[in-house]
Amino acid sequence: MTRFLDIWNHTLFWYYLASNLAYLVMLLIALKTSAAHKRKLESYRLHWIADTPLAPPISLVVPAHNEESSIRVAVHNLLELDYPELEVIVVNDGSEDRTLEEMCEEFRLRPVRAVYFAELKCARVRGLYRSSVDPRLLVIDKEPAGSKADAANAGLNAATSPYVCVVDADSVLERDALLRIMLPILADPKRVVAVGGIIRVLNGSEIANGNLRRVRLPRKSIEVIQVIEYLRAFLIGREAWSQGNMLTIISGAFGVFRTDLVRAVGGYRPNAIGEDFDLVARLHKHLLEKRAAYRIDFVPDPMCWTEVPSDLKSLRRQRARWHKGLIDVLWLTRGMLFRRRYGRIGSFALPYLWVFEFAAPVIEILGIVTIVLAAVLGVLSRGFFLQFLLFGYAFATVISIGSVLQEEITYKRYNDWQDVARLVSYCFLEHFPYRQMHMFWRLQGIWQYLRGNNAWAPLKRKGLQSASVP
Amino acid sequence: MESIFEKLWRLGPAAFVLKAIVVAVVADALLLAFILLRRAYRKRYFAKRDACVFKWRQKWDDLLSARVPYSAWRANAFDRRIIETIALDGLEAGNPEECARILRFLRFSGLLEKRIFEARRFTGWRRMRALVALGRTRAPEGIPALADALRDRDLEARLAALRGLGRTASPKAAEEILAWVGEKGLVVPTLPLQSALIQCCAEHPQLLLPYVQNATGQLREVLGRVLGEVATPSLGLDLLQFVGDDLDELRAAAARALGHSPSGLAFDVLSELARDPIWFVRLRAVVSLGKLSERRAIPALLRGLTDSNRLVRLRAAEALLALKTEMAPIFQQVVAAGDRYGLHAYLTAVENADVLAKLEEELQSSASLPADEKGRLQNVLRSGSLVAEERASLPDFTGAARP
Repeated sequence: MTRFLDIWNHTLFWYYLASNLAYLVMLLIALKTSAAHKRKLESYRLHWIADTPLAPPISLVVPAHNEESSIRVAVHNLLELDYPELEVIVVNDGSEDRTLEEMCEEFRLRPVRAVYFAELKCARVRGLYRSSVDPRLLVIDKEPAGSKADAANAGLNAATSPYVCVVDADSVLERDALLRIMLPILADPKRVVAVGGIIRVLNGSEIANGNLRRVRLPRKSIEVIQVIEYLRAFLIGREAWSQGNMLTIISGAFGVFRTDLVRAVGGYRPNAIGEDFDLVARLHKHLLEKRAAYRIDFVPDPMCWTEVPSDLKSLRRQRARWHKGLIDVLWLTRGMLFRRRYGRIGSFALPYLWVFEFAAPVIEILGIVTIVLAAVLGVLSRGFFLQFLLFGYAFATVISIGSVLQEEITYKRYNDWQDVARLVSYCFLEHFPYRQMHMFWRLQGIWQYLRGNNAWAPLKRKGLQSASVP
Repeated sequence: MESIFEKLWRLGPAAFVLKAIVVAVVADALLLAFILLRRAYRKRYFAKRDACVFKWRQKWDDLLSARVPYSAWRANAFDRRIIETIALDGLEAGNPEECARILRFLRFSGLLEKRIFEARRFTGWRRMRALVALGRTRAPEGIPALADALRDRDLEARLAALRGLGRTASPKAAEEILAWVGEKGLVVPTLPLQSALIQCCAEHPQLLLPYVQNATGQLREVLGRVLGEVATPSLGLDLLQFVGDDLDELRAAAARALGHSPSGLAFDVLSELARDPIWFVRLRAVVSLGKLSERRAIPALLRGLTDSNRLVRLRAAEALLALKTEMAPIFQQVVAAGDRYGLHAYLTAVENADVLAKLEEELQSSASLPADEKGRLQNVLRSGSLVAEERASLPDFTGAARP
């Protein structure tokens, strides 16, 4: 038993070291590529792109479920985006509130029979409406199916542009976000099939008429910790993975895809728990099986601001759902593991997700159990244990501060000294007890997935309207 | 010589962890210090920059008219950079008179000459910065330096030069770009190349013809696309040589370009291209047929309505509506074609253009249609279906809850 505990504790140490070293490598890659990207942008003038007749049209698909408080502002915001050819398709996913009526009043909708063929599976469409105020706006009214994927599929069925961008109705896109996210596609339209943008935390910022007026750090600790998590995930994780063309997730809140390819893989899987992750995984699979030369890119500057959960209950639900989504996709793509035809995705990205994402909460909880057991049995070296804790704490803090540094030297959205000071302080504070709670929520996700409890529960949100200032 | 892994293993976790803690804590401190120092530096830098921008903005007219001698600021790199930035921003936003004034200032002050020198002599990011600035001036004397940079080993420098040449929108720049792609082939992403060529060849699309004829592979595709974009009626018969080309892109480009040609010449060719096996060639042909605004195009456009590709169907329907002719006879032909997808595309275009009421009115008042035919067409228009039994299979929104 003692021998077993000793071996396990050493394994835990090496696992933890490997996980953090992987993140450190990613941080270094991300710092290098962000700097290069920023320099590259110096030679671009975005309005030159806006003026080119070659910019391909984009259909923006906006699933909306019970968004009466923010839908007017959100749609105006999308219609005002800088992009030469844009079509906005709002999918009213069986809202029980006045979402549709709000849009009818604001945009003077009239029923139309727009080109709509149910190529991708989705619930019955009740009606299609086009705006008399701005003909670029099409509204699909459909029966609810309980998933965003279903609504996105309805939007995809109606999309007439070669590129489609699915955005959340409660997110705020920066005015030039589409121009920026299209840069990789415009540079290499044959190879780049999808591009993800960065998602930032909206909580605490000031919004006027659907536009971001001032970026501020949220007040609540739980929100600030999420800011750090998002910075770490996007500015380090995704930036680094995309360098090796191993990006396995493009956030459902903001990403551009080639419409024909999304249709070719059957669109979003309606019963997927993490529909965004699932779609990208299937795109990789499809393209690798066809031996296509392709890229799925990430661009760190087209920003989409979204509201994150501000209470523990909602956050718990969200994180459990994310973990269920991860397991769901990993299980479905298990056949890609270590198969030559699936290249780096099968031999590197997916194994990484299995070992360092899926298994992390299990290994962590086992670690805690064995440490307690070792202490009880008197085989725990107190000195080593403290050193290990201190090392873990300091190393994880390096990664967190690294992500803040990355934001600081590249996009620098938090201008206030106080905001940066708070952000850095939370890099030291997030490890206890937030990290342990997060581990527990992810374990709950695993448990729920194993029990087949995959129902989607809505998160508590304030909406764009409530965040606006006069 | 033992490897790092062996060293780590021999070190053992305890000793390793001790060292790692020290490294991690030092890294934390360094990162924090870097953030703090950088913030402090940037705060000072921006305060100084803002003050300097304000100072020169106040004296802008004096600067442009050389009442402030060039020697007063040229030697100071900080001032020089700020004045150049203000001038370049002014070039992008100003009216032609203002732009001419600023360009004169850039020439006489020596800023332009300096950038040309830097674009020729420097390498890497410094060269790229000079190229970007040179491109923003749109000065013709910058073209040779920009053309030289097209042969740089660094892709970013080549792209900056290409964009700069595009900004000049001059045929001379087009010649330089074309000579370069003729010599080196496609060594940059296609879109910047196309954009630059479109801007530079807009006035003289003829420049492209010999290159399109002689180019091969993807470069030919790219040049064909540019030709399609910039073609004007002046190209006339020259475009016909590409109609039977093996390259799909080139046929599509020809179809696109023929939309700008005199209708008599283009009509037959476009009707033929509207039957092409490649969908995007048909799409271009249908769109161009619509642009010709000729009644003769109706049969080809009606055929386009029954195309297997939905974009072709939709564009054909839009082209039919854009003909500015009576809609009722066309609608009758759409219904007679018996293709439910075509009918749906046509109705979509009618509703998108908000002319449904007009079509209903035309059907009502049409003297040429017999009463029973009129009723049948009105039924189809209302139901969106050709026959009752097909109604279930088409997406039927007539019963939708009206907002």
